[in-house]
Amino acid sequence: MTEITQEKMEQIAQMWNARGKGLITHMALEIKEISAEAVLVRMPFNPDFCVDSAQTLLHGGILTALLDSVFGLANFVAIEGVSTMATLDLRVDYLRAAHSRSDVVVRANCYRVTRHIAFNSGSIWFDGHEDDEIARGAASFALTRGDTSLFSAMTKATV
Amino acid sequence: MDLQALNTNVSRVPFFRFLNFEVQEISETYAEAEITFESRHIGNPVMEYYHGGIIASFMEATAAIAVHPEFADIPAKPINLTVDYLRPAVKGPLTAGAMVTRKGKRIASVSVTAWQAARDKPVAEGLYHFLLV
Repeated sequence: MTEITQEKMEQIAQMWNARGKGLITHMALEIKEISAEAVLVRMPFNPDFCVDSAQTLLHGGILTALLDSVFGLANFVAIEGVSTMATLDLRVDYLRAAHSRSDVVVRANCYRVTRHIAFNSGSIWFDGHEDDEIARGAASFALTRGDTSLFSAMTKATV
Repeated sequence: MDLQALNTNVSRVPFFRFLNFEVQEISETYAEAEITFESRHIGNPVMEYYHGGIIASFMEATAAIAVHPEFADIPAKPINLTVDYLRPAVKGPLTAGAMVTRKGKRIASVSVTAWQAARDKPVAEGLYHFLLV
């Protein structure tokens, strides 16, 4: 497993926790494992993300949003020298109804990167039920190479 | 289909309240809705662009309503989706138009476009499948 520099880990912690706005703070994501090969992230159950009035069934859209976010993280740790990154396209298969009040776990990786494009894949399951995937996704991202790091672009407004 | 009754049902869905949108047009094969921008929709905190996942979720919600506008509690069952992101979606209102391209006995295909100022400059296009049984 490739080691990630302490600096990068601190940058990630700052981006995810300290910037304090946007969807990512509502998802309250917790990084469980992280390397250039794969990232594993937990999203706590949140009744706001449900479709039914009993609040036990997650809307597929939040799983799509989770994949999009975690693909971004996987790219950030796997690719050096990227100044901006934009989702080009995203495909998600909903494999079974997301019927549970359990936390959700997602694993994502960047399985191929070129000068301009990153390719990602990922899976989602309820915590403790890795064999019963609830969704699987794939995406491609357009990368802009440059000296201004993604991190400084993301944080310059908050410092 | 009565828009007011439909929007009442929309407001009962927790995640639809999180998205904060209103259905503005509905027919047999088409639904159009507008989302009101909230800080919780942000994906890029510097530029204050919408999160791609919020755009895809809003398009999915509009597609589900186009397929099954009479839903009382749980919207139509989604099978899968593909979305192309064409432009960044900036702070402000965002509209989605969902056209049911085919509705069979078991499966429906819905084509969705999302735009802001001009419909001919879409921010995203998507194809969504739903299971009707």
